[in-house]
Amino acid sequence: MSALAEPVKRGLTKSIQLLLLLIKIIVPVSCLVAVLDYYGIIELIAGFFSPAMALFGLPGEATIALILSFFVNFYAALGVITTMSLSSQQITVLAVMIGICHELPVETVVCSYTGLRIPVSAALRIFTALGAGIFLNLIYNLVLGG
Amino acid sequence: MEIVYLLAETILNTLLSIARLALFLIPVLILIEIARHYQVIEKITGRVKKALQFLTLPQEAAFPLLAGMFFGIVLGSALIIDYAREGYLKKRDLLLIGIFLSISHSIVEDTFILAVFGANPLILVLTRTILAIIITRIAASLIDRFNPTTNQ
Repeated sequence: MSALAEPVKRGLTKSIQLLLLLIKIIVPVSCLVAVLDYYGIIELIAGFFSPAMALFGLPGEATIALILSFFVNFYAALGVITTMSLSSQQITVLAVMIGICHELPVETVVCSYTGLRIPVSAALRIFTALGAGIFLNLIYNLVLGG
Repeated sequence: MEIVYLLAETILNTLLSIARLALFLIPVLILIEIARHYQVIEKITGRVKKALQFLTLPQEAAFPLLAGMFFGIVLGSALIIDYAREGYLKKRDLLLIGIFLSISHSIVEDTFILAVFGANPLILVLTRTILAIIITRIAASLIDRFNPTTNQ
């Protein structure tokens, strides 16, 4: 049992660090989104992007989650998701897109050590995410018939 | 005044969803650390021979690939730098691992977090893994055809 103490402690420390980080990112982002929404700015952005988001079967507001995911990180996008009401299909499509493409400013640099150039990995991930979103939405619509 | 209530409600809701996340996240991260402690990845590297063959990657690629996939891109990349210095892998292999990991990494942690927010975990894992495999395979063919100089 004592052999397990070390990894358990490490896991706990990591979770607490990650949860604190999450609070520091998600709370301000969701407050910002709430304020922008209050003044009708989200509606403006959402209206502009809603034709594009329709490709993924997502509402226009999802644009903000995607942009935050691509250029800030995963957790900032979660801050937006907590303020949206989405169907399980929509959450899954959005989650796949976020999962594939997030935190580009940091992760493309990390990945560049393998020899993968930064613009190439950024483009690869953005296009893969968009393609996966379109594809998954199509599959959902085919399978569920609507 | 209305906006103060709105903010208070938003903060409360957000903290609640983070608390719900904590219930899942803490056990998952502990399990990941236990898996690292028992060197689970080292033990399964031998079993992915077929998958590596499909990706045209050598056996040495198994460890950085699996470690990055399960434990995160930073660890994966750190191992890759180490492997590159030791000369275990060719340039093209490193590049292919980079492509694979950029699409599919830390799938346990990411998937759990997104699942707590309502996403379907199975679809999440399958889509990312399958796309990473297909794109890496296509990249392998393209690199070998157009840029054979990296093959050293």
